Amino acid sequence: MPFTLEQFEILAEKTLLFLFVLKKDGKIFTFNNRCEVLFPFNKDQIKGKQITDYIIDEDISLFKSSVSRLSEKNPLTVETFRFPTIQNGVLALKFDLTLHNNLIYAAGIDTTEEYKEHRALITISKLTKTGAWYFNPKNKEMYWSKGCYAIKDLDPNTPMTRGLGASFYPKESRERVENYLNTLIKTKEPYEYTEKIITGKGNQKWVKVVAQPVIYKNEVVYVNGTIADVTDRHDYIEKLKYNEETKHLALKGIQSGLFDHLIEKNEVFYSSDFKKMLGLPPDQDYVPEEKFRTMIHPDDVDTAFARHKENLKKPGNHYHNHYRLKHFKNGYRHYEVHGYRRKNQKGETIRMVGNLIDVHQKKINEKTIQDNKSKLQAMVNNGMDYIILLNVQGKILLADEDSIKIIKRDYNVDPMKTSCLFIDVMPINYKSTFAHSFNEALKGNTVRKEIERNTHVGTNQWLETKYIPILDDQSNVNTVLITFRDITEEKLAQLVIKEAQIREQELDDLKSNILSNFSHEIRTPLNGIITISKLLQDEDDNEERNKLIDYLDESKNRLLDTLNTLASYSEIESIQKNLSYSQIDVNYVVETSYRNYIHLAKTKNLDYRIELDESCPESIVDENLFKTALDNIIHNALKYTNKGSVQIKINTKRSKKNIYIYIIDTGIGIDKKNYEKIFDPFIQESIGLSRKYEGTGIGLSLSRRYIEVLGGKIKVKSKLNKGTEFLIIIPKSL
Amino acid sequence: MNILYVEDNKINAMVMDKMLSKNHSKVIIAENGSQALKTVKEKNLDLILVDINLGLNQMDGCELLQRFRKLDIIKNTPVFAVTAYAMPGDKQRFINLGFDNYFSKPVNFEKLLSVISNLNTSLSKKTS
Repeated sequence: MPFTLEQFEILAEKTLLFLFVLKKDGKIFTFNNRCEVLFPFNKDQIKGKQITDYIIDEDISLFKSSVSRLSEKNPLTVETFRFPTIQNGVLALKFDLTLHNNLIYAAGIDTTEEYKEHRALITISKLTKTGAWYFNPKNKEMYWSKGCYAIKDLDPNTPMTRGLGASFYPKESRERVENYLNTLIKTKEPYEYTEKIITGKGNQKWVKVVAQPVIYKNEVVYVNGTIADVTDRHDYIEKLKYNEETKHLALKGIQSGLFDHLIEKNEVFYSSDFKKMLGLPPDQDYVPEEKFRTMIHPDDVDTAFARHKENLKKPGNHYHNHYRLKHFKNGYRHYEVHGYRRKNQKGETIRMVGNLIDVHQKKINEKTIQDNKSKLQAMVNNGMDYIILLNVQGKILLADEDSIKIIKRDYNVDPMKTSCLFIDVMPINYKSTFAHSFNEALKGNTVRKEIERNTHVGTNQWLETKYIPILDDQSNVNTVLITFRDITEEKLAQLVIKEAQIREQELDDLKSNILSNFSHEIRTPLNGIITISKLLQDEDDNEERNKLIDYLDESKNRLLDTLNTLASYSEIESIQKNLSYSQIDVNYVVETSYRNYIHLAKTKNLDYRIELDESCPESIVDENLFKTALDNIIHNALKYTNKGSVQIKINTKRSKKNIYIYIIDTGIGIDKKNYEKIFDPFIQESIGLSRKYEGTGIGLSLSRRYIEVLGGKIKVKSKLNKGTEFLIIIPKSL
Repeated sequence: MNILYVEDNKINAMVMDKMLSKNHSKVIIAENGSQALKTVKEKNLDLILVDINLGLNQMDGCELLQRFRKLDIIKNTPVFAVTAYAMPGDKQRFINLGFDNYFSKPVNFEKLLSVISNLNTSLSKKTS
């Protein structure tokens, strides 16, 4: 039985529902008494006004869209709108809106309390980036709150389809995620997991999903769940993990132990690494001083504790100490302590945190380097060479004592104390050669150069310079070693050898020259002899024959003279082959020659004397050659002196380098214009000397050559009919 | 045939004169370079024989040859070296210097006379 109108009106007035009848355009047609609290004016004034005038701004569009959705086909909708009221604040009314005969019948229920809770939940959901969901295993219906959509960067109106949720997980985790829900339905146990998703906008997020089953008659009828965006937290945890790991690795890597020393309470806490290193039991946190003393190397105890006390008094916060500690298995090892001191207001150190670092290997390396350096230095100092080691910038890293002395003396710089470039401490004229060679060495090439320099005492010195690149294990040039070797003696020896070679060549030339001259001198008279013989055969006239015979005789004599000279000259070959230099006592050799001719001097009744030099000069010569030359000249002097004296004098004072030997006679003398000619072996005939100087030209000429071969000279001074002075000059041996 | 012989050795000069005179040549002797240079300007010469070693401080035969070569009158006159320098290489040396022929001492007169005879023949042909 339907309601009567009266019953209905009573019901409409007594009900807790808020009832409206609205026109399609939203104008208020009528309402029940309960609605009066929504309006500030009386009932009659409200009728015909737009209901949207009384709804809070935020919900107006919602109302309009709800009304527009209503049609004959779809006459019913449910929506909540909020109304400001004078007494009760904002009321949230949930309306059933029904369209009937172009009028909207709205029946609203006060959901203000629930709505408050709902808003709070929405706020929580927003702030915690959490979404709620439920799942009905019977009809497989899945519901997501707006938060769920927000997390997945999806439009909240996106239609829900099967598998939508799983599609946001990467392939590798999708199956695992789907299994969680299936397992829950079987086991009825709640679950939670954290997984990575890729959102609708392609962002990577980490989500935490929690699910709780609702059970009815031992069967899961419903699953409630939340999904939360935990990306920030995940990242933070990851970072934290990474930092922890780094710290752990760092601590492991430095082989150090950490400690925290509360000085006031005299408590020390050691990290487990520390304890491990020192062989302390893991549960022992404190080592008393007495015990610690026994762990330090006996040689280091006193200095270590003294340094410790000093450290505590120091200004600032740093703490540094070093000593050897007994390692649990490796014996004593070198440790360094670096710490931070916290002070109280009085400035006393009350706490110290720091670490103990194993520097054993470093110490040993340092010591090895120092040892090697000393060894190298010793090698360098005792070597024959000057040695300088440069880095690639050209700075002096190492130098031998002599080089350092030279640099100190000439440049007033100690390269071992102040770092200096080698190029700055060398004479200016060597700089470009050095720069060039050094650059070559930097390219990896070994360079060898010879340089000549004047020493500070003014002598000439030859140095062989070598630039040797030293490579590191990457084959890059690391340092350049420069050695200077004094090759002055070698150079001088080379020069002597070269000179000797030149002299030998000169002797060779002389020999062939002599041979050529002999040939000429034989052929000339032979031409006469042969031709005259022919002429004689045909000559009948007696007078003419005698004349020809005289010519023949003259040519024959000249030929004989030449052949005699040749015999004495043949000596030169054997002498030249057997040149042997040795040190001779000049006094002794000259006196021996002198004695050879005492008899000859006596027979000629000459005053024959010798004057030796007190300094006993020595010379390096071929004794045979020297003596032959000397004999020739002495013999020559005696031969052409018929009265008076022949004196021999040795003088070393006239020159530092040479020895002077004078042979002075009072003989027949030589005309000045013939000084040179007397030394030419084949000149006698042309200048008419042959009679007077028979057999001598060759002797003097040989003597001069011999002395020249020995590096000396013969000079002659003479006055006709007064006498002659021969001077032999030979080098002193130094 | 007029032949100039430049030679400082009197015996050698004399024997050359005797040998060549027998073969109807006229030999003029010059003792040194300057005499020779004077002679070439005065006499009409068919051949010049030059000793190389003309004594100390004297112009030698090689220098004399260079002087001759600058004189137009004896431009076409053959100049022979007659010398006691007869070591290996000497002949080539003198020919290279420009001598027309080389005779070593002791002189092979058979050869010298035959060369002079050939020279005479060619001269007669030219003049006739």
